[in-house]
Amino acid sequence: MKAKLIFVTGGASGLGLELVRAARRNGHRVICTGRRGAQDLPVDFPDIPYLSCDLASEDGAHMAADWALQHSVGQIGCALLNAADGYFRPMTLETPDAITRVLSVNLEANMILAHRLYPALGGGHLALIGSVAHKGAAGMPVYAASKAALDGFGRALAEEWRGRTYVRVLHPGPTATGMAERAGRRPNAADKLFLAPRPMAQAVLDAALATTGRDRQVISYGRVLFSPARWRRKGAA
Amino acid sequence: MTRVLITGGGSGLGQALAAQCRAQAGMSVCVVDIAPPADGASDWITHDMGDPANDSWSALSDTLAAKGPFDLVILNAGINATGRYEQVPVAAHLAVARVNLLGPMRLLHILLHKNLLTSGGRVVFISSLSVFTGYPGAASYAASKDGLACLARSLRKPLRKAGNIHVQLVCPGPMDTPHATRHAPEGARADRRIDPAKVARMILAQPGRRFLLVPGAGARMAAAAGRAFPQTMTRIMGKVLFRKLT
Repeated sequence: MKAKLIFVTGGASGLGLELVRAARRNGHRVICTGRRGAQDLPVDFPDIPYLSCDLASEDGAHMAADWALQHSVGQIGCALLNAADGYFRPMTLETPDAITRVLSVNLEANMILAHRLYPALGGGHLALIGSVAHKGAAGMPVYAASKAALDGFGRALAEEWRGRTYVRVLHPGPTATGMAERAGRRPNAADKLFLAPRPMAQAVLDAALATTGRDRQVISYGRVLFSPARWRRKGAA
Repeated sequence: MTRVLITGGGSGLGQALAAQCRAQAGMSVCVVDIAPPADGASDWITHDMGDPANDSWSALSDTLAAKGPFDLVILNAGINATGRYEQVPVAAHLAVARVNLLGPMRLLHILLHKNLLTSGGRVVFISSLSVFTGYPGAASYAASKDGLACLARSLRKPLRKAGNIHVQLVCPGPMDTPHATRHAPEGARADRRIDPAKVARMILAQPGRRFLLVPGAGARMAAAAGRAFPQTMTRIMGKVLFRKLT
Protein backbone atom coordinates (compact mmCIF):
# COMPACT_ATOMS: atom_id res chain seq x y z
CA MET A 1 0.00 0.00 0.00
CA LYS A 2 1.18 3.54 -0.78
CA ALA A 3 2.40 5.45 2.28
CA LYS A 4 -0.12 8.10 3.28
CA LEU A 5 -0.17 11.09 5.56
CA ILE A 6 -2.37 10.12 8.48
CA PHE A 7 -3.81 12.70 10.87
CA VAL A 8 -4.96 11.34 14.24
CA THR A 9 -6.80 13.28 16.97
CA GLY A 10 -6.55 12.13 20.57
CA GLY A 11 -3.29 10.33 19.82
CA ALA A 12 -1.59 10.86 23.19
CA SER A 13 -3.19 7.86 24.88
CA GLY A 14 -5.68 5.03 24.55
CA LEU A 15 -6.84 3.78 21.18
CA GLY A 16 -5.51 6.95 19.51
CA LEU A 17 -1.96 6.17 20.59
CA GLU A 18 -2.36 2.62 19.31
CA LEU A 19 -3.67 3.98 16.01
CA VAL A 20 -0.58 6.19 15.75
CA ARG A 21 1.64 3.17 16.39
CA ALA A 22 -0.24 0.94 13.96
CA ALA A 23 -0.06 3.56 11.20
CA ARG A 24 3.68 4.00 11.77
CA ARG A 25 4.21 0.22 11.73
CA ASN A 26 2.42 0.09 8.40
CA GLY A 27 4.81 2.65 6.98
CA HIS A 28 2.61 5.76 6.96
CA ARG A 29 3.59 9.30 7.90
CA VAL A 30 1.66 10.28 11.01
CA ILE A 31 0.84 13.60 12.65
CA CYS A 32 -1.35 13.79 15.72
CA THR A 33 -3.01 15.97 18.32
CA GLY A 34 -3.70 15.23 21.95
CA ARG A 35 -4.86 16.96 25.08
CA ARG A 36 -1.62 16.30 26.96
CA GLY A 37 1.25 18.72 26.96
CA ALA A 38 4.21 17.52 24.88
CA GLN A 39 6.20 17.02 28.11
CA ASP A 40 3.55 14.61 29.49
CA LEU A 41 3.63 12.18 26.58
CA PRO A 42 4.62 8.55 27.28
CA VAL A 43 8.40 8.02 27.15
CA ASP A 44 8.14 5.70 24.17
CA PHE A 45 5.94 8.11 22.20
CA PRO A 46 7.05 8.07 18.54
CA ASP A 47 9.00 10.98 17.11
CA ILE A 48 6.23 12.60 15.06
CA PRO A 49 4.73 16.10 14.80
CA TYR A 50 2.45 16.56 17.82
CA LEU A 51 0.05 19.37 18.66
CA SER A 52 -1.18 19.78 22.21
CA CYS A 53 -4.72 21.18 22.07
CA ASP A 54 -8.07 20.75 23.76
CA LEU A 55 -10.83 20.06 21.24
CA ALA A 56 -13.53 21.10 23.72
CA SER A 57 -13.41 24.66 22.42
CA GLU A 58 -14.16 25.84 18.90
CA ASP A 59 -10.81 27.60 18.90
CA GLY A 60 -9.08 24.34 19.78
CA ALA A 61 -10.75 22.53 16.88
CA HIS A 62 -9.85 25.31 14.44
CA MET A 63 -6.27 25.33 15.75
CA ALA A 64 -6.04 21.58 15.12
CA ALA A 65 -7.43 22.07 11.59
CA ASP A 66 -4.98 24.87 10.78
CA TRP A 67 -2.11 22.79 12.09
CA ALA A 68 -3.12 19.66 10.17
CA LEU A 69 -3.56 21.59 6.91
CA GLN A 70 -0.18 23.23 7.35
CA HIS A 71 1.66 19.97 8.13
CA SER A 72 -0.02 18.03 5.34
CA VAL A 73 0.54 20.72 2.70
CA GLY A 74 -3.08 20.39 1.70
CA GLN A 75 -3.21 16.64 1.14
CA ILE A 76 -4.37 14.34 3.94
CA GLY A 77 -4.47 10.64 3.07
CA CYS A 78 -6.57 9.75 6.07
CA ALA A 79 -7.99 11.68 9.02
CA LEU A 80 -8.72 9.46 12.01
CA LEU A 81 -10.94 11.60 14.24
CA ASN A 82 -10.61 9.61 17.40
CA ALA A 83 -10.47 12.13 20.29
CA ALA A 84 -13.34 11.68 22.73
CA ASP A 85 -14.36 12.35 26.29
CA GLY A 86 -17.09 10.90 28.47
CA TYR A 87 -18.24 9.68 31.84
CA PHE A 88 -19.74 6.43 32.93
CA ARG A 89 -22.59 7.82 35.03
CA PRO A 90 -26.36 8.39 34.89
CA MET A 91 -27.94 11.68 33.77
CA THR A 92 -28.72 12.74 37.35
CA LEU A 93 -25.01 12.73 38.22
CA GLU A 94 -23.99 14.72 35.15
CA THR A 95 -23.12 18.41 35.28
CA PRO A 96 -24.01 21.01 32.63
CA ASP A 97 -20.33 21.73 31.99
CA ALA A 98 -19.50 18.05 31.51
CA ILE A 99 -22.45 17.52 29.14
CA THR A 100 -21.34 20.52 27.08
CA ARG A 101 -17.75 19.30 27.06
CA VAL A 102 -18.56 15.75 25.95
CA LEU A 103 -20.72 16.98 23.07
CA SER A 104 -18.07 19.54 22.08
CA VAL A 105 -15.23 17.03 21.90
CA ASN A 106 -17.13 14.01 20.59
CA LEU A 107 -19.35 15.77 18.05
CA GLU A 108 -18.77 19.48 17.47
CA ALA A 109 -14.96 19.29 17.12
CA ASN A 110 -15.37 16.53 14.54
CA MET A 111 -17.96 18.59 12.66
CA ILE A 112 -15.52 21.52 12.58
CA LEU A 113 -12.59 19.31 11.53
CA ALA A 114 -14.57 17.61 8.74
CA HIS A 115 -15.68 21.02 7.49
CA ARG A 116 -12.18 22.51 7.58
CA LEU A 117 -10.29 19.47 6.27
CA TYR A 118 -12.65 18.90 3.32
CA PRO A 119 -10.35 20.55 0.74
CA ALA A 120 -7.41 18.34 1.82
CA LEU A 121 -9.40 15.10 1.86
CA GLY A 122 -10.02 14.75 -1.89
CA GLY A 123 -9.23 11.13 -2.79
CA GLY A 124 -8.55 10.46 0.88
CA HIS A 125 -10.26 8.82 3.83
CA LEU A 126 -12.15 10.27 6.78
CA ALA A 127 -12.74 7.89 9.68
CA LEU A 128 -14.89 8.90 12.62
CA ILE A 129 -14.26 6.73 15.66
CA GLY A 130 -17.58 5.97 17.36
CA SER A 131 -18.46 3.39 19.97
CA VAL A 132 -20.67 0.33 20.27
CA ALA A 133 -22.51 2.44 22.88
CA HIS A 134 -24.10 4.41 20.01
CA LYS A 135 -27.15 2.15 20.15
CA GLY A 136 -27.98 3.50 23.62
CA ALA A 137 -26.52 2.83 27.06
CA ALA A 138 -28.30 3.49 30.37
CA GLY A 139 -24.99 3.78 32.23
CA MET A 140 -23.60 6.54 30.01
CA PRO A 141 -26.44 8.36 28.25
CA VAL A 142 -24.51 11.50 27.29
CA TYR A 143 -21.51 9.64 25.86
CA ALA A 144 -23.80 7.21 24.00
CA ALA A 145 -25.83 10.08 22.51
CA SER A 146 -22.68 11.86 21.37
CA LYS A 147 -21.52 8.71 19.58
CA ALA A 148 -24.96 8.12 18.05
CA ALA A 149 -24.83 11.69 16.76
CA LEU A 150 -21.41 11.01 15.26
CA ASP A 151 -22.89 7.93 13.59
CA GLY A 152 -25.73 9.92 12.02
CA PHE A 153 -23.28 12.62 10.97
CA GLY A 154 -20.95 10.16 9.24
CA ARG A 155 -23.86 8.31 7.67
CA ALA A 156 -25.01 11.49 5.92
CA LEU A 157 -21.52 12.71 5.09
CA ALA A 158 -20.49 9.34 3.57
CA GLU A 159 -23.32 9.68 1.07
CA GLU A 160 -22.62 13.36 0.37
CA TRP A 161 -18.91 12.82 -0.23
CA ARG A 162 -19.20 9.46 -2.02
CA GLY A 163 -16.86 9.30 -5.00
CA ARG A 164 -14.57 11.95 -3.56
CA THR A 165 -13.66 10.97 -0.01
CA TYR A 166 -14.19 7.63 1.72
CA VAL A 167 -16.10 8.46 4.90
CA ARG A 168 -16.41 5.73 7.53
CA VAL A 169 -17.88 5.58 11.00
CA LEU A 170 -16.06 2.85 12.91
CA HIS A 171 -17.49 1.66 16.21
CA PRO A 172 -14.90 -0.19 18.30
CA GLY A 173 -16.08 -2.76 20.81
CA PRO A 174 -14.77 -2.83 24.40
CA THR A 175 -11.00 -2.37 24.32
CA ALA A 176 -8.53 -2.54 27.21
CA THR A 177 -7.22 1.01 26.86
CA GLY A 178 -8.12 2.05 30.40
CA MET A 179 -10.77 4.43 29.03
CA ALA A 180 -13.60 2.77 30.94
CA GLU A 181 -11.78 3.25 34.27
CA ARG A 182 -10.89 6.85 33.48
CA ALA A 183 -14.55 7.44 32.67
CA GLY A 184 -15.52 6.25 36.14
CA ARG A 185 -16.58 2.67 35.47
CA ARG A 186 -15.59 0.28 38.24
CA PRO A 187 -13.43 -2.59 36.97
CA ASN A 188 -15.16 -5.96 37.04
CA ALA A 189 -14.87 -9.48 35.67
CA ALA A 190 -15.94 -8.32 32.18
CA ASP A 191 -12.62 -6.48 31.82
CA LYS A 192 -10.87 -9.79 31.15
CA LEU A 193 -12.90 -10.06 27.96
CA PHE A 194 -11.92 -6.62 26.67
CA LEU A 195 -10.03 -6.69 23.39
CA ALA A 196 -6.32 -5.91 23.23
CA PRO A 197 -5.65 -2.36 21.97
CA ARG A 198 -3.03 -3.29 19.41
CA PRO A 199 -5.04 -5.66 17.19
CA MET A 200 -8.07 -3.38 17.66
CA ALA A 201 -6.09 -0.40 16.36
CA GLN A 202 -4.89 -2.45 13.39
CA ALA A 203 -8.45 -3.55 12.57
CA VAL A 204 -9.71 0.05 12.84
CA LEU A 205 -6.89 1.33 10.63
CA ASP A 206 -7.50 -1.40 8.03
CA ALA A 207 -11.21 -0.51 7.94
CA ALA A 208 -10.43 3.22 7.71
CA LEU A 209 -8.10 2.76 4.74
CA ALA A 210 -10.19 0.18 2.90
CA THR A 211 -11.83 1.31 -0.34
CA THR A 212 -14.61 -1.25 0.05
CA GLY A 213 -16.92 -2.07 2.94
CA ARG A 214 -19.91 -0.41 4.56
CA ASP A 215 -20.00 3.24 5.56
CA ARG A 216 -20.69 2.35 9.18
CA GLN A 217 -19.02 -0.64 10.79
CA VAL A 218 -18.77 -2.21 14.20
CA ILE A 219 -15.19 -3.32 14.85
CA SER A 220 -15.48 -5.80 17.66
CA TYR A 221 -14.63 -9.39 18.58
CA GLY A 222 -15.37 -10.92 15.18
CA ARG A 223 -13.36 -8.39 13.21
CA VAL A 224 -10.43 -8.13 15.64
CA LEU A 225 -9.95 -11.79 16.52
CA PHE A 226 -10.53 -13.18 13.05
CA SER A 227 -9.13 -10.49 10.80
CA PRO A 228 -7.22 -12.05 7.87
CA ALA A 229 -4.69 -9.21 8.12
CA ARG A 230 -3.89 -10.28 11.66
CA TRP A 231 -3.01 -13.81 10.62
CA ARG A 232 -1.06 -12.60 7.64
CA ARG A 233 1.11 -10.37 9.82
CA LYS A 234 1.59 -13.13 12.36
CA GLY A 235 2.81 -15.44 9.63
CA ALA A 236 5.22 -12.82 8.35
CA ALA A 237 6.67 -12.03 11.78
CA MET B 1 -54.42 19.44 36.35
CA THR B 2 -51.91 18.05 33.86
CA ARG B 3 -48.94 20.37 33.45
CA VAL B 4 -47.33 20.27 30.03
CA LEU B 5 -43.98 21.70 28.98
CA ILE B 6 -43.31 22.07 25.24
CA THR B 7 -40.07 23.34 23.75
CA GLY B 8 -40.35 25.06 20.39
CA GLY B 9 -44.06 25.59 21.05
CA GLY B 10 -44.17 28.74 18.93
CA SER B 11 -44.45 27.15 15.50
CA GLY B 12 -44.95 23.96 13.54
CA LEU B 13 -45.56 20.75 15.45
CA GLY B 14 -44.91 22.47 18.80
CA GLN B 15 -47.60 25.04 18.07
CA ALA B 16 -50.05 22.30 17.11
CA LEU B 17 -49.25 20.41 20.32
CA ALA B 18 -49.65 23.53 22.46
CA ALA B 19 -52.94 24.46 20.77
CA GLN B 20 -54.40 20.99 21.33
CA CYS B 21 -53.30 20.94 24.96
CA ARG B 22 -54.82 24.36 25.57
CA ALA B 23 -58.09 23.19 24.04
CA GLN B 24 -58.30 20.28 26.46
CA ALA B 25 -59.83 20.77 29.88
CA GLY B 26 -57.52 20.02 32.76
CA MET B 27 -54.29 20.78 30.93
CA SER B 28 -52.05 23.75 31.48
CA VAL B 29 -49.34 24.48 28.96
CA CYS B 30 -45.96 26.12 29.38
CA VAL B 31 -44.12 26.89 26.16
CA VAL B 32 -40.38 27.40 25.79
CA ASP B 33 -39.51 29.17 22.55
CA ILE B 34 -36.80 31.38 21.14
CA ALA B 35 -39.45 33.77 19.85
CA PRO B 36 -41.43 36.04 22.18
CA PRO B 37 -45.05 34.96 22.84
CA ALA B 38 -47.63 35.32 20.11
CA ASP B 39 -50.61 37.42 21.19
CA GLY B 40 -52.78 35.92 23.82
CA ALA B 41 -50.35 33.20 24.85
CA SER B 42 -49.67 33.09 28.57
CA ASP B 43 -47.16 30.87 30.38
CA TRP B 44 -44.41 31.42 27.85
CA ILE B 45 -40.68 31.26 28.54
CA THR B 46 -38.50 32.95 25.96
CA HIS B 47 -35.29 30.96 25.83
CA ASP B 48 -32.81 29.90 23.16
CA MET B 49 -32.28 26.12 23.47
CA GLY B 50 -28.94 26.55 21.71
CA ASP B 51 -27.65 29.25 24.06
CA PRO B 52 -24.20 28.20 25.30
CA ALA B 53 -24.23 30.69 28.24
CA ASN B 54 -24.77 29.15 31.65
CA ASP B 55 -26.61 32.29 32.88
CA SER B 56 -29.58 31.82 30.59
CA TRP B 57 -29.88 28.18 31.68
CA SER B 58 -29.82 29.09 35.39
CA ALA B 59 -32.57 31.61 34.73
CA LEU B 60 -34.57 28.92 32.88
CA SER B 61 -33.96 26.52 35.74
CA ASP B 62 -35.42 29.00 38.28
CA THR B 63 -38.44 29.73 36.09
CA LEU B 64 -39.15 26.02 35.58
CA ALA B 65 -38.83 25.31 39.31
CA ALA B 66 -41.53 27.92 39.91
CA LYS B 67 -43.86 26.54 37.21
CA GLY B 68 -43.29 22.79 37.62
CA PRO B 69 -43.38 19.93 38.30
CA PHE B 70 -44.51 18.71 34.87
CA ASP B 71 -46.55 15.65 33.94
CA LEU B 72 -45.73 15.80 30.25
CA VAL B 73 -42.56 17.22 28.74
CA ILE B 74 -42.25 17.39 24.95
CA LEU B 75 -38.73 18.06 23.66
CA ASN B 76 -39.75 19.37 20.29
CA ALA B 77 -37.61 22.44 19.49
CA GLY B 78 -35.45 21.89 16.45
CA ILE B 79 -33.72 23.68 13.60
CA ASN B 80 -32.10 22.47 10.40
CA ALA B 81 -29.28 23.48 8.04
CA THR B 82 -29.54 21.94 4.57
CA GLY B 83 -27.16 21.83 1.63
CA ARG B 84 -23.76 20.33 0.86
CA TYR B 85 -22.09 19.94 4.25
CA GLU B 86 -18.93 21.85 3.36
CA GLN B 87 -20.85 24.70 1.72
CA VAL B 88 -23.06 25.50 4.74
CA PRO B 89 -21.20 27.71 7.25
CA VAL B 90 -19.91 25.62 10.14
CA ALA B 91 -21.57 27.98 12.64
CA ALA B 92 -24.98 26.94 11.24
CA HIS B 93 -24.11 23.25 11.73
CA LEU B 94 -22.98 23.88 15.30
CA ALA B 95 -26.20 25.78 16.04
CA VAL B 96 -28.19 22.76 14.85
CA ALA B 97 -26.24 20.42 17.14
CA ARG B 98 -26.73 22.76 20.09
CA VAL B 99 -30.43 23.52 19.67
CA ASN B 100 -31.45 19.97 18.77
CA LEU B 101 -29.22 17.93 21.09
CA LEU B 102 -27.27 19.90 23.69
CA GLY B 103 -30.35 21.96 24.62
CA PRO B 104 -32.59 18.96 25.34
CA MET B 105 -29.78 17.35 27.38
CA ARG B 106 -29.36 20.46 29.47
CA LEU B 107 -33.11 20.87 29.93
CA LEU B 108 -33.49 17.22 30.98
CA HIS B 109 -30.60 17.62 33.38
CA ILE B 110 -32.43 20.54 35.03
CA LEU B 111 -35.73 18.65 35.20
CA LEU B 112 -34.09 15.57 36.75
CA HIS B 113 -31.77 17.49 39.03
CA LYS B 114 -34.55 19.67 40.41
CA ASN B 115 -37.05 16.84 40.51
CA LEU B 116 -39.46 18.56 38.15
CA LEU B 117 -40.93 15.43 36.55
CA THR B 118 -43.97 13.94 38.29
CA SER B 119 -44.16 10.24 38.96
CA GLY B 120 -46.23 8.55 36.27
CA GLY B 121 -45.50 11.39 33.87
CA ARG B 122 -43.87 11.18 30.47
CA VAL B 123 -41.10 12.71 28.44
CA VAL B 124 -41.52 12.76 24.67
CA PHE B 125 -38.50 13.17 22.41
CA ILE B 126 -39.29 14.56 18.96
CA SER B 127 -36.59 13.06 16.77
CA SER B 128 -36.88 12.37 13.05
CA LEU B 129 -37.45 9.67 10.46
CA SER B 130 -33.81 10.36 9.52
CA VAL B 131 -32.84 8.05 12.40
CA PHE B 132 -33.94 5.17 10.17
CA THR B 133 -33.16 6.52 6.72
CA GLY B 134 -30.13 8.79 7.13
CA TYR B 135 -30.32 12.35 5.82
CA PRO B 136 -27.61 13.34 3.32
CA GLY B 137 -27.86 17.07 2.76
CA ALA B 138 -28.50 17.73 6.45
CA ALA B 139 -25.57 16.01 8.17
CA SER B 140 -25.70 18.12 11.34
CA TYR B 141 -29.46 17.68 11.62
CA ALA B 142 -29.18 13.91 11.14
CA ALA B 143 -26.45 13.87 13.80
CA SER B 144 -28.55 15.76 16.32
CA LYS B 145 -31.65 13.63 15.77
CA ASP B 146 -29.69 10.36 16.04
CA GLY B 147 -28.22 11.67 19.29
CA LEU B 148 -31.66 12.58 20.60
CA ALA B 149 -33.09 9.16 19.73
CA CYS B 150 -30.15 7.47 21.45
CA LEU B 151 -30.72 9.65 24.52
CA ALA B 152 -34.35 8.49 24.66
CA ARG B 153 -33.25 4.85 24.36
CA SER B 154 -30.63 5.29 27.08
CA LEU B 155 -32.97 7.05 29.53
CA ARG B 156 -35.96 4.79 29.00
CA LYS B 157 -35.16 2.25 31.70
CA PRO B 158 -33.48 4.52 34.29
CA LEU B 159 -36.40 6.99 34.26
CA ARG B 160 -38.94 4.21 34.47
CA LYS B 161 -37.16 2.75 37.46
CA ALA B 162 -36.37 6.02 39.21
CA GLY B 163 -39.74 7.72 39.06
CA ASN B 164 -42.11 5.68 36.91
CA ILE B 165 -41.56 8.22 34.15
CA HIS B 166 -42.37 7.03 30.64
CA VAL B 167 -40.04 7.93 27.82
CA GLN B 168 -41.32 8.08 24.26
CA LEU B 169 -39.54 8.56 20.97
CA VAL B 170 -41.35 10.13 18.03
CA CYS B 171 -39.77 9.96 14.57
CA PRO B 172 -41.91 11.97 12.16
CA GLY B 173 -41.22 12.18 8.46
CA PRO B 174 -41.67 15.48 6.62
CA MET B 175 -44.55 17.53 8.04
CA ASP B 176 -46.43 20.42 6.51
CA THR B 177 -44.71 22.99 8.75
CA PRO B 178 -42.81 26.22 8.03
CA HIS B 179 -39.64 24.37 9.07
CA ALA B 180 -40.09 21.51 6.59
CA THR B 181 -41.14 23.86 3.80
CA ARG B 182 -37.96 25.88 4.30
CA HIS B 183 -35.75 22.81 4.00
CA ALA B 184 -37.56 20.70 1.39
CA PRO B 185 -36.07 20.54 -2.11
CA GLU B 186 -37.59 22.91 -4.68
CA GLY B 187 -40.74 21.63 -6.27
CA ALA B 188 -41.52 19.19 -3.43
CA ARG B 189 -45.25 18.76 -2.92
CA ALA B 190 -46.55 20.08 0.40
CA ASP B 191 -49.70 17.94 0.18
CA ARG B 192 -47.59 14.79 0.45
CA ARG B 193 -46.33 15.92 3.87
CA ILE B 194 -48.22 14.96 7.00
CA ASP B 195 -50.32 17.56 8.82
CA PRO B 196 -48.64 18.53 12.13
CA ALA B 197 -52.05 18.67 13.85
CA LYS B 198 -52.49 14.97 13.03
CA VAL B 199 -49.06 14.12 14.47
CA ALA B 200 -49.84 16.19 17.56
CA ARG B 201 -53.10 14.27 18.05
CA MET B 202 -51.23 10.95 17.79
CA ILE B 203 -48.65 12.06 20.34
CA LEU B 204 -51.19 13.34 22.85
CA ALA B 205 -53.52 10.35 22.43
CA GLN B 206 -50.69 7.76 22.67
CA PRO B 207 -52.57 4.62 23.60
CA GLY B 208 -50.72 2.02 25.62
CA ARG B 209 -47.70 4.30 25.85
CA ARG B 210 -45.65 2.64 23.18
CA PHE B 211 -41.99 3.67 23.17
CA LEU B 212 -41.60 4.40 19.47
CA LEU B 213 -44.07 6.36 17.38
CA VAL B 214 -43.53 6.81 13.64
CA PRO B 215 -46.56 8.78 12.47
CA GLY B 216 -48.12 7.93 9.11
CA ALA B 217 -48.08 4.84 6.89
CA GLY B 218 -45.52 6.27 4.44
CA ALA B 219 -43.08 7.13 7.23
CA ARG B 220 -43.55 3.70 8.80
CA MET B 221 -42.72 2.03 5.50
CA ALA B 222 -39.61 4.17 5.08
CA ALA B 223 -38.55 3.35 8.65
CA ALA B 224 -39.00 -0.37 8.08
CA ALA B 225 -36.99 -0.20 4.84
CA GLY B 226 -34.26 1.80 6.62
CA ARG B 227 -34.10 -0.76 9.39
CA ALA B 228 -33.75 -3.66 7.00
CA PHE B 229 -31.39 -1.96 4.53
CA PRO B 230 -29.80 1.04 6.25
CA GLN B 231 -27.15 1.87 3.67
CA THR B 232 -29.37 1.25 0.64
CA MET B 233 -31.97 3.58 2.16
CA THR B 234 -29.37 6.32 2.73
CA ARG B 235 -28.21 5.95 -0.87
CA ILE B 236 -31.80 6.33 -2.04
CA MET B 237 -32.10 9.45 0.16
CA GLY B 238 -28.95 10.70 -1.54
CA LYS B 239 -30.49 10.22 -4.97
CA VAL B 240 -33.99 11.53 -4.32
CA LEU B 241 -33.17 14.29 -1.83
CA PHE B 242 -29.52 15.36 -1.65
CA ARG B 243 -29.09 15.81 -5.43
CA LYS B 244 -32.17 18.05 -5.49
CA LEU B 245 -31.02 20.11 -2.53
CA THR B 246 -27.68 20.93 -4.09
